Order: sequence, then C-alpha cells, then structure tokens
Amino acid sequence: MRIFERRAAPAEGAAAAALSTALAILAALAVGGLLFLPFGADPFSAYAALFGESFLTWRGFGFTLLKAAPLILIGLGTVVAWRTGFGFLGFEGCVMIGAAAATWVALMVREGQILAGLPFAAFLPLAILASLIAGGIWSGIVGLFKSRFGGNEVITSLMMNYVALLLVQYLVSGPLREPGGLPQSPRLPRETWLPQLFDGMRANAGILIALAAALVVWALLLRSRIGYEMVVTGLNPKAARFGGVEVGRRQFMAACLAGGLAAMAGMVEVLGLHHRLIDGMSGGVGFVGMVAALLGKLHPLGVVIASTLYAGMTVGADAMQRQAGLPSSIVFMIQSLIVLFILAGEFFRRYRLRLPGRRTASAGEGV
Amino acid sequence: MDVDFALTAFLTGWLAATVRLAGPLLLAALGELFAERAGVLNIGIEGVMLLGALVAWWAAWSTGSLWLGMLGGMAAGLTAGGFLGFMYVTAQASQVVVGVIFNIFALGLASYAYRLILGGASGAQTAVMFSVLPIPLLSEIPFLGPILFRHTPLVYLTALVAAGAWFVLRRTSFGLNLRAVGENPRAADTAGLDVTAYRYAGVLISCVAAGAAGAYLVLAQVGQFRETVVSGQGFIALAIVIFGRWDPLRAAIAALIFGAADALQLTLQIFTSGVPPQLLLALPYLVTILAMSGLIGKADQPESLMVPYSRE
Repeated sequence: MRIFERRAAPAEGAAAAALSTALAILAALAVGGLLFLPFGADPFSAYAALFGESFLTWRGFGFTLLKAAPLILIGLGTVVAWRTGFGFLGFEGCVMIGAAAATWVALMVREGQILAGLPFAAFLPLAILASLIAGGIWSGIVGLFKSRFGGNEVITSLMMNYVALLLVQYLVSGPLREPGGLPQSPRLPRETWLPQLFDGMRANAGILIALAAALVVWALLLRSRIGYEMVVTGLNPKAARFGGVEVGRRQFMAACLAGGLAAMAGMVEVLGLHHRLIDGMSGGVGFVGMVAALLGKLHPLGVVIASTLYAGMTVGADAMQRQAGLPSSIVFMIQSLIVLFILAGEFFRRYRLRLPGRRTASAGEGV
Repeated sequence: MDVDFALTAFLTGWLAATVRLAGPLLLAALGELFAERAGVLNIGIEGVMLLGALVAWWAAWSTGSLWLGMLGGMAAGLTAGGFLGFMYVTAQASQVVVGVIFNIFALGLASYAYRLILGGASGAQTAVMFSVLPIPLLSEIPFLGPILFRHTPLVYLTALVAAGAWFVLRRTSFGLNLRAVGENPRAADTAGLDVTAYRYAGVLISCVAAGAAGAYLVLAQVGQFRETVVSGQGFIALAIVIFGRWDPLRAAIAALIFGAADALQLTLQIFTSGVPPQLLLALPYLVTILAMSGLIGKADQPESLMVPYSRE
C-alpha cells in the first residue's frame, strides 16, 4: 500500500530546483488567491494592487526598502548560523537586544548627557558596535553552551527570545521609561535618526547598512578560509574535525555573528522607524527573516532578493487591509506556504506518486 | 493571627492558580512527549494550539456545547497533525524548519479564519465556559481541598491523561516500540517495527493533545478567542518535556513549577512588591535554559531526536 515510490534518478539539476521553487511560489499564490474569494475580492486585482503598491509606486517602494532592511539582516544571521550547523532560532530576541543597545547609546546623545553633541558620523559606528556586541554576547551565550558543553541550541535559543522580550519590557517600564508615559522609552533625539535616502521617500540608510552587511557576509562565508571552515562544519562536523577544523570555535563564531547581525536589525528598526524602544516592537520579524532566508536558499544574494520580496508583500498587505479591508494575514500564510511547498517539493524531486498502470521503476530500467 | 490568615489565603490562592495554569501546559507537553519519544521534535505544537483554540471557540460558540468545542479543538489538531506528519516523516524535511514555519502559517490562518467567522456576526462573542466542579468530600479538606479539588473537569481529566500516558509509555508494547523507534530507528526497523507508522502516531498524538490544550485555554481560562491566547505556551510545553526528561510524571511536576512561576507573578502584581514582575516571568525560561545548557549533565534525550529516518 505504498503511496509514493522512489524515482529512479532524483531530479537534482539546477533547472529542476528552479522549477520546483517557481511551482512552490505559484502554488502558494494560488492558495492565497482562493483566500481572497470569501471577502468578495477578485484575486487577480488583489495581487495586482498588492505588488503594484509595494514595487511600482515610489512611496510604496520606499516602505518596501524600509521593511526589507531588518529582514535582510536577520536573514544574513540565519545564513551564518544555519550554514555552520548552528540551529539558532533566537533572532527575535537578538532584535530586541540590539534595539535596546542602540536606544541606550542614542539616549546618551541627548542634551546634558555624556555624548551630547556627538556628530552622526561618529554616533552611527558607535551604535552599530553597541548592537553588534550586545547581540553577539546574547547569542554567544547559546553558542557557548552548544560548543563547550554540548547543550541543545534549538530550545535554548527559543527560550532566550522570551527572556529578551521580558528584559526589554522591564527596561521600558523601569529604567528607560518615558516619564509619565506608556511603557516605552523617550523619543530618541532627531540627530540619531537614520537619514532618508531621498526626500519624500521613507527608505533610509538602513537598507544601505543591510546591503553592506550582505556583501561582508558573502565575502566572509564564500570567499574566506574561516568562512570555508564554517560551511564545512555545517555540512559535516565529523569530517571537518578530521580535516583540522576547530568545529566548536567556528560554531561559537557563527553564533556571535548571527546574533550580532540580528541585533543590527533591531538597531535599524529603532533608529530608522520607531525612534524609540517599545515593548514587543519586534512583532515576529525575527521569524519572518528566517523564512525569507530559507526562500533565499541560505545564500546572501538570495536573502536580499527574498527579503525584498517579503517586505514588499508585507507593505502591500498593510495597504490592502487599509484600503480594501482585506485581512493582511493572507500574506503571512502565503509567505510561509511558499517555503513549506519548497520543502515538500524537495520530496517530490526524489519520490513520485505511485499510480496504478504506471510501470514501477526498477534498477537498470530507467524511468 | 491576621498575618497567618493572610498567608494562608495567599498560599491557597497561589497554589490553586498554579494547578489551574499548569493544566493546558501539561496536556500539550504530554502529547509532545510521544512525538519526541518517537524521534520527532514537533515545534509546531505552538501553532496547533492556536488552531485548536480557534476551532474550539467556534464550535462551542456555534453549537453551545463545551464538549463539542473540545472535540473541535482535537479535530483541528488531528488535521494539522496529518500535514505535519507528512512533512516530518514522509518528506523528511528539517523538523525545526517545518515546525517554526508552520507556527507562522498557523498564526496567519487563525487570524484570517477568525475574521471570516466574525464577519457575519456583530461585536465580541463570548462563549460559555466550563464551570468549577468541586469533588464531593475531597474539596472540603482544609487547605488542600481548594487547591486540588475545586477546578474545572478539564483539570481532573488532564491528571488522568498524565497517568494514562505514563502507563502507555511504560507498560504497553506500543509504548515500548515507540521508544525503540525514537532511540534507534534502524534497529527497530530491522526488528520488524514500522518506523513510519510509529512516528506518524507520535506526531498525531502530539497534535491532538496540542489541539485539546488550545481548546482548554479557550474553554476554561479565557472564554473567547484571541490571537494572543497561546503566545508561547506551546514552546513552554516543549521546555516542560525536556525539563521533565521525557517522562510523563516528571513532566507533571515540571508543568506545576512553570504554572507556579506564572501564578506567582499574577499574585504578586496584586500586592506591590519590589521584585519586577518580568524577573518572575523569566524564571521558567531561565531554568529551562540552564537545564538545556549542558552545564548540569546532558539531558538524556531520545537518541534519534530530530533525525529523519530513511531506509537507505
């Protein structure tokens, strides 16, 4: 009663991979299209509005780039961690930690504080460094547990997310609280805000920071000896160790770098969008960034493309909800379905449905 | 005398809330235990709980029957389990990746379906909730009675499920085979066990339990559906499984510890104390991190956890 049978030869070429990715995206869009129907919307015009708003209008594309920056940084963190075999899921927490660190530095630039009057050119490197270090230490704890004591990074990093969320909640309801206001920090001084790319466009320097980070990660992972050792560690830790790679040290490095990158996403959110630290402000972005990284095949360039696509979908969904009253949750479903279908597609490249009447492939017989 | 009275009132209130809050956590953890014992880390239970909560609320609200609501939650879990089982076991995809993405999908689906259901109705809907069923005589015991025996029927059922889970895992051939599949699937396969079937069974049990746990949250604690009704409790159930070292009875103790931390935080918010509530809330997570860090001996997890099995 087997339902699936193994293909004689798995469909492994680049064309087959591209085709299955394209089919997965189409299938997810088709399912998403059906979801518009109960709300009385025509799927085709809904999609046209969704992508048109976020990619074809100047205003909308600015928002898309604004939203893409943190996703790219989180996706890059995912690439570094997962390619090194470090199953880290704590990006959401690192975003919050990075946001808190950047807020802390930015608040010191206020009138009468230690760093008052600091020019932006000096402030930005300082903020980047602060968020990198804070996020690196935060995820480094998990990396240390894994590389030094053999702990389970999957569960530990999930739990660290909640600790980070609670830590920020404590900060904005205690030490960093705006006097008399909601549980949030005071507004950051204007001179610490990320500058806009063009007048009248919401996109800011965050996207440039993200693209620069993508270049660095690409060079490190795919063009350097350390990066090569990290990738080998992820592919086969035993063989890597046999080949002289210090597996534990490389995984620890990957952990710190991944957390640092995600923390920079938090910095970009604070300095470029919210301009203050807010309880629960990450809102799941750490997980969406991971999904975008998977769609980008864990490659830095793929991450940039997939993150921009996902950011655009999010922006389009918000506009759709505002203007036509269609639930933006449809887009979350499409975003996750794309990757779920790609994963299922990998199965169908190795197996096929067993149909009555079809000759079963056996050794030597070919298809 | 007044101090004594206040202390007793505080303790009774706190411990009763502990039992109440531990219930859904334990139910989800007991199911997850079966999946993990079979070698599948089902991170997707967070999302399954949310779907279970939604369907349970919908079924209870539209039929007026609480038990049909519970059944609806379990049916939602079974459906999700079929999909997750295919991804984990048949497609052999990374369990962590599938689980995490399923949670995002479930959040979108629940929020979408909730809007669709509410579309025709007006205003916030309140479902009826399970009422407290004091157990005769036992609930009259001073101190212990209010803590243990004045709860909704779901609390007592969860305790029965815990005992049943222990019996099935430890005393039946199904439980023995399931554990064998999780420890060494190749050996189990050689011995003639159907590894695929046992892993599917583990995933389905975990998802039905998670669906029931979601229903529990709605029907006994909140009374209506909200997108934030689960918010991490599925992950805490994962922690409880590990903290309880893959044993139902130790998982029950772990669930009570997590429930106690949660209840203490609620109780202390009423009194004004110097301790920030976030610290108390973070305690369960910190304890889990420490338990999983490898610092205090390696947790004895099933040998093939997270490793997909394929014959060749």
